[in-house]
Amino acid sequence: MSLLLEYHNLLLKTLLTERLNSSTPTGIDQIISDFDNVTYHVSTPEKKTQILISISIKCFQDLLQHGAQGVLEREYGPYITETEAGYDFSLLIDLEALPEDPAEREDLVRRVSLLRRNTLAAPFEKAINTHHQLAEAAKSASPESAPQQNESEVMVIRYRDEEAMYIQASHDRVTVIFSTVFREETDRIFGKVFLSEFVDARRRAIQNAPQVLYRNDPPLEIRGLVDEQQQQGQGEIGYVTFVLFPRHLTAQRREENISHIQTFRDYFHYHIKAAKAYMHSRMRRRVADFLKVLNRAKPEVEEGEKKERKTATGRSFRVQA
Amino acid sequence: MASQTPAVVMDNGTGFSKLGFAGNDSPSFVFPTAIATKGPGGGGGTGSGRPAVAQKPSYLTGGAGPAGHLSAKRGTEDLDYFIGDEAIAQASGPGYGIDYPIRHGQVENWDHMERFWQSSIFKYLRVEPEDHYFLLTEPPLNPPESRENTAEIMFESFNCAGLYIAVQAVLALAASWTSSKVTDRSLTGTVIDSGDGVTHVIPVAEGYVIGSSIKSIPIAGRDITYFVQSLLRDRGEPDSSLKTAEQIKEQFCYVCPDVVKEFTRFDREPERFQKYVVEKLGGKQATVDVGYEQFLAPEIFFNPEIYSSDFLTPLPTVVDQVIQSSPIDVRRGLYKNIVLSGGSTLYKDFGRRLQRDIRHLVENRIHASEVRSGGVKSGGLEVQVITHKRQRHGPWYGGSLLGQTPEFRSYCHTKAEYDEIGPSIVRRFALLGGPGT
Repeated sequence: MSLLLEYHNLLLKTLLTERLNSSTPTGIDQIISDFDNVTYHVSTPEKKTQILISISIKCFQDLLQHGAQGVLEREYGPYITETEAGYDFSLLIDLEALPEDPAEREDLVRRVSLLRRNTLAAPFEKAINTHHQLAEAAKSASPESAPQQNESEVMVIRYRDEEAMYIQASHDRVTVIFSTVFREETDRIFGKVFLSEFVDARRRAIQNAPQVLYRNDPPLEIRGLVDEQQQQGQGEIGYVTFVLFPRHLTAQRREENISHIQTFRDYFHYHIKAAKAYMHSRMRRRVADFLKVLNRAKPEVEEGEKKERKTATGRSFRVQA
Repeated sequence: MASQTPAVVMDNGTGFSKLGFAGNDSPSFVFPTAIATKGPGGGGGTGSGRPAVAQKPSYLTGGAGPAGHLSAKRGTEDLDYFIGDEAIAQASGPGYGIDYPIRHGQVENWDHMERFWQSSIFKYLRVEPEDHYFLLTEPPLNPPESRENTAEIMFESFNCAGLYIAVQAVLALAASWTSSKVTDRSLTGTVIDSGDGVTHVIPVAEGYVIGSSIKSIPIAGRDITYFVQSLLRDRGEPDSSLKTAEQIKEQFCYVCPDVVKEFTRFDREPERFQKYVVEKLGGKQATVDVGYEQFLAPEIFFNPEIYSSDFLTPLPTVVDQVIQSSPIDVRRGLYKNIVLSGGSTLYKDFGRRLQRDIRHLVENRIHASEVRSGGVKSGGLEVQVITHKRQRHGPWYGGSLLGQTPEFRSYCHTKAEYDEIGPSIVRRFALLGGPGT
């Protein structure tokens, strides 16, 4: 059931699994694309046994400000290498110096295929850490003192040309705001229905889902931050706000939640498109039904001009009225 | 590079789909064009012509009805499907039925095709179609309605940034530019496209397919496999499954210059007989002798009478007929640039044998006309069959080659143009890679 999108890059995973498990090294030079203008370049520049994986990601400068380097060093430590020209970050895997244990190799492949996810994870991790600190501080402080200390600055990640993510941590929640642009009228309507379903889900059964808000003007948190330029296309931009509560931010849940929320935009657009595909299949079915009705209404051939019918042997006979 | 996203190249064939990004030297994914959906399979063949529709997805019914009513309709069955290798794995279990949305090169079931593309784009290639240009392929003589349907899906469902639909044969010609034998990058030539189901001989003049002269031959990869299998059965080998036959075909088969001589050579040199070891279930092994089928199997292209009693024209003769039925002013170019494409043209020396046989036919004809005209000498005619490294996924590779050129985007129809003009816009495409680029 492909309800959710995967977090890892399937292509990167298959490619590496194949390379790591085969004994004959071959040269690779492939460009791989991922959501949101992320481009990977997998190549073997010097030796066939040394695979260089580079990633180019639009908002890398934003991410660096929010501690991406630290997260990447934690995840990929010894594999980090000099960054390839034109890209933002590079890993080098030496096939001759691989971990012996197959499970460890698998883990390496898994981690590399999550490169995009991990790069993007940095601001979220930072926000969650800030949240914990603020929560600690708020607990120790008396309720009246210094409420202005309760919120951190808003982190802006411009991950697409016209769209951005805003993340803000506070002592009792982490707020994530996506600005989304809809070029298409239809998309906007589908998007709205889809988002109202999020709100619905919370009301109905899944009370501990994060709160989701959708509006067309920038929410208060980020009003000061939105560029003039972005505001011009007023009608087309929507803001989706996720409010993550402390129960989403516990140590055991956070990794998964970071993955979920990162893929939100792609997930959102994927489902809009899936809904359209579904509508199309309903339309096609309708047309097929109508065609059947029309065919039924075709006039029978006039009785008088009925052609002579022939038997199998070629003899003709007249139909008796 | 970072400023422009690579174009997505998708070559959906009857048997296999090749997906990848322009600029790469091989497709990123190659898997069967199959989709497994809930419920009985063969949605296209249900007589009524009604595509099977899954239950409504939740968010379409959501919001309108009362909340209690909603939970019953909270299905997402329309997303419950698999494509490619996963589809085949799932279809062997219960609950799922398999369907091949493309038959004879043309899309038969648009519902399934739309979902197949959806999964290809989002799950396998992981791209946001709004950011990428797409290059799709179509068989020669694809009806324009089919193109329009494709454009509707691509632009309206996926909002893809731009679209180019190229003819597979033309892309196969472009792929042959990698060969060192090709000096001028012309788009004139004869494409021999032999896949699993059928072999086509397609003449292309300056990027346009000469539709009236296309010929197809009902002999292709699958028939060679069957032929190998029947040879194994006749000898009573311990294992003669289709899979074994296929393996033998792929590993051992080659084209010989002369069958009779090859038989005597085999008799003289017994070391030419080889053995193939089959791993059976439960760790057992069976050894299959591999003998004459090594050169006999591909021979059915050149002497079809050893395999079939219905189709008796050898491939070189068909190629010659195709070129002879084309307009006279392009024939020289068609003889000079005969390009191979598809998995069943990969046998060793296939191109060499084809070239020799066609040359024989041509030279005999020239000689006859020289005799008839009473001593006038002909200037001769160059016949050249081009084999190159990218033959297996020829059309895909050609697409990748053309898709990475800087001017590719200007040849595409964009979403804005589509919105302005409508689906009929895709009836015409400027010729990509043609003269003047």
